[in-house]
Amino acid sequence: MANTTKLNVVYGDVTLGLSGPGFRYIFAYDRGGLESLVQEGKEWLYRVPTPAFWRATTDNDRGNGFSVAAATWLGADMFKTCTAINVVVDGQAIPLPIAPENNRYTAKETATTVTVTFTYTTPTVPATTVDVAYTVTATGQLTIAVHYAGRAGLPELPALGLRFLCPTPATGFDYQGLSGETYPDRLAGGQPGTYHVEGLPVTPYLVPQECGMHMRTQWVTVTRATTQNNSDPDHQPFQLTLRQAAHPFAFSCLPYTPEELENATHMEELPLARRTVLTVYGAVRGVGGIDSWGSDVEPAYHIAGDIDHDFSFVIAGPVAK
Amino acid sequence: MKAEISWLDDPQTFRVNQMPAHSDHRGYATVAEAATQKSRFVQSLDGQWAFAFARDPQHRPLGFYQPDSDRSDFEPLTVPGHIELAGYGQIQYINTAYPWEGKHYRRPAYSQGADQPEPGMFSQDPENTVGAYVRHFTLAAGLRHKRVSIEFDGVEQAMYLWLNGHFVGYAEDSFSRSEFDLTPYLQAGENLLAVEVFKHSTAAFLEDQDMFRFSGIFRSVRLVAKPRLHVEDLTIQATLTPDLETGEFSAHLALSAAERLAGSVTATLFTAAGEQLWTTTQAVAEELTVKATLPHVHRWDHHDPYLYQLRLSVVDDAGQLVEVVPYAVGFRRLELKDKVIYLNGQRLILNGVNRHEWDAQRGRAVTVADMERDQRVFKAAHINAVRTCHYPDQDLWYHLCDRNGIYMMAETNLETHGTWQKMGVVEPSYNVPGSLPQWTLAILDRARSNYEMFKNHPAVLFWSLGNESYAGDALVAMDQFYHTVDPTRLTHYEGVYRNRAYADRISDVESRMYDPPRDIEAYLQNHPAKPFLNCEYMHDMGNSIGGMGSYMALLEKYPMYQGGFIWDYIDQALWVKDEVTGQPALRYGGDFDDRHSDYEFSGDGLLFADRTPKPALQEVRHYYGQYD
Repeated sequence: MANTTKLNVVYGDVTLGLSGPGFRYIFAYDRGGLESLVQEGKEWLYRVPTPAFWRATTDNDRGNGFSVAAATWLGADMFKTCTAINVVVDGQAIPLPIAPENNRYTAKETATTVTVTFTYTTPTVPATTVDVAYTVTATGQLTIAVHYAGRAGLPELPALGLRFLCPTPATGFDYQGLSGETYPDRLAGGQPGTYHVEGLPVTPYLVPQECGMHMRTQWVTVTRATTQNNSDPDHQPFQLTLRQAAHPFAFSCLPYTPEELENATHMEELPLARRTVLTVYGAVRGVGGIDSWGSDVEPAYHIAGDIDHDFSFVIAGPVAK
Repeated sequence: MKAEISWLDDPQTFRVNQMPAHSDHRGYATVAEAATQKSRFVQSLDGQWAFAFARDPQHRPLGFYQPDSDRSDFEPLTVPGHIELAGYGQIQYINTAYPWEGKHYRRPAYSQGADQPEPGMFSQDPENTVGAYVRHFTLAAGLRHKRVSIEFDGVEQAMYLWLNGHFVGYAEDSFSRSEFDLTPYLQAGENLLAVEVFKHSTAAFLEDQDMFRFSGIFRSVRLVAKPRLHVEDLTIQATLTPDLETGEFSAHLALSAAERLAGSVTATLFTAAGEQLWTTTQAVAEELTVKATLPHVHRWDHHDPYLYQLRLSVVDDAGQLVEVVPYAVGFRRLELKDKVIYLNGQRLILNGVNRHEWDAQRGRAVTVADMERDQRVFKAAHINAVRTCHYPDQDLWYHLCDRNGIYMMAETNLETHGTWQKMGVVEPSYNVPGSLPQWTLAILDRARSNYEMFKNHPAVLFWSLGNESYAGDALVAMDQFYHTVDPTRLTHYEGVYRNRAYADRISDVESRMYDPPRDIEAYLQNHPAKPFLNCEYMHDMGNSIGGMGSYMALLEKYPMYQGGFIWDYIDQALWVKDEVTGQPALRYGGDFDDRHSDYEFSGDGLLFADRTPKPALQEVRHYYGQYD
């Protein structure tokens, strides 16, 4: 019988498995992150979530040279190393529970809360780290806290977020926040409300670029109808909900990574949409608008590379049936 | 007179046998006909013409305009339209540099000295494409036995006209109406009209706008008959006395007669509801003026674009009605007081946008539907002003702005960006028009065409001298021209910012483009001489329009800050069929193997090229809505 007040914990040799009614999460030591997020039998992750640093160059970024100044973050966005993993069970840090350390456990381990923190080290010069801490409770709720360690000498960041790749494209998403596509320096016209977006629209700028940001979001629910699971013939829609923790968050939900957008000179060059790229941002750089050939984004809307940044949000557990 | 191809090379030859520019009023046979806006005196020549393309002047079909010429190789072509979009000639987008960059070394005629006229620059240009157009017509009943002229609303960039083998005239200035008298050469039955269009002439130096570079008859063509007595020109002034209640109206008419200038003209003003307000009758004369002072007039402005209706009824000496001319009249008072622009006693705030004429299928040959849709977008986004960047638009656009209360900065067709700014650096060593007398008449003619055609539109608040053409004596002359002919409006020109020696002689306003808010503030805090406006700001290329609040905040702090015009309204991109998928795709500069190009810089609009709004439009709606 399922334990309804505690998490079931599987101290695997390669992974740490956490499960409860309607959910099963797998944190993979070898993959360096949250490998599997299954709710109601549906897998939500294609690859482990990793910190997001890049945004596809906007025309204003190109004009004022920001992409050149920040180019190191393109490398960091694509390539980073998981350099540390820490596990905390019921408030107690434990040694990484792989064999033989995990020989002490049984098939019936439980816990009230488990926190797994992955530390990613960037290939920038100088390097810095981002900690991504997942705290799971018995309901299956995940609270995700991201800490960016500022380092003197690092250029301003194009973006700072955590990117989730889902195995199949979403049919749409709903959110509570501001209408339309908003950025920190372009959100006065965004009307607060609850909105539905059909599909995964990419704003058709002549040259594909950063797009689809939604600032000041309280929650977002992504809906998919397909999986890659060959044994799952069901095509009924299913959902995953992210909520704000202490503060509203920003997100974009697109079929492409920034690198895929970056590489296209026209909309028609973008690949066929195969995934959902859901990114939650703790810091968003403004888009600017004074001109497109040199003027910078207003200073209040930059993301400093040399100071710490923290943000957190919640992935809701499965809805009780 | 014989047509000379050397006119293409001569900046001093820009109109030959054209009729003088005049008001855009239209004549009708009866009051009822005027109400339908379909005049029996007008015969459209839009539609299918026959066409032959030549890659350069040397390969053009000589004598194609002769009735007995062999035109068996001519192909059908729809007018209006661009030659390039019909599959002839290469499409090119380029911003500041001239379209021949990297292909031909050129200096404008006389820019390197009065002894350097640069003969053959365009007449022997191996890449100056030529379009030969012919069309047969038979006069419709309403035009027969009358004086008949032909109006070309837009031909890019130089055109020669023949009728029945006779040379009629020559025109430059792609964006102004060119009108020619056909009467001497008309024949009963079928007539043969022939137009030879050259892509480039010296006008190319004056038309260096940031746009796709096209050629051809891209706006409507029509025949227009003049009844026995005809209102040739109409100059309306409808202003308010300082009490803002009393309307002062005058209409100055120029009349012509087929035979005898005798009869009377009755001028009547009606309210919008059709009630007669005032009327007067005068004997017909070559020129006459009617005047009225009207108490308690209904003012025209953005929120309440109230239009009275003027009707001119021309009656011959036998008492027969020969022509009815309707025109909408808006009363407003525009003044510059204590260095602040006021409209009807209220500080003018420009929630503006720059608008190129653009349609992703048709290029600059925009349709009525395009224009009406644009007006709806303006209303929804609280856009209250438009700059006709950087040329006069189709005349319907001005009527729509009158009706919908959109303030207009009516710009002259002039931009010589490539002659004074290279790679962002001011380098005016071969600037035209500068202070060159050989170029001055051409730009004054452009100003006159702009003024005469649009002078009666209440929506027009500013005459703009053009865009990014630096400053010199020629632009001083243009500023003086506008002030001389029109004391009711203000002049605008940004280019004098680049040459401050002319600051006190050009432009009633301090106009700049893309100044950051802090620089504008520095101007406004430092004994400013003129009210400030942004002729271009908030460059909406791609994902942009961030930081608009910093500009809007200046409105609260500085009365002399009067807003501005966002760059710009709509992306310039063209629908093509994707070579790989066969699906429709929007293409921009450089996508047509066109080099040198400025690539995606063609797309800076609040709307995508297909007229769907960019996400940033909600930001504009918000801020402009606060000051609407």
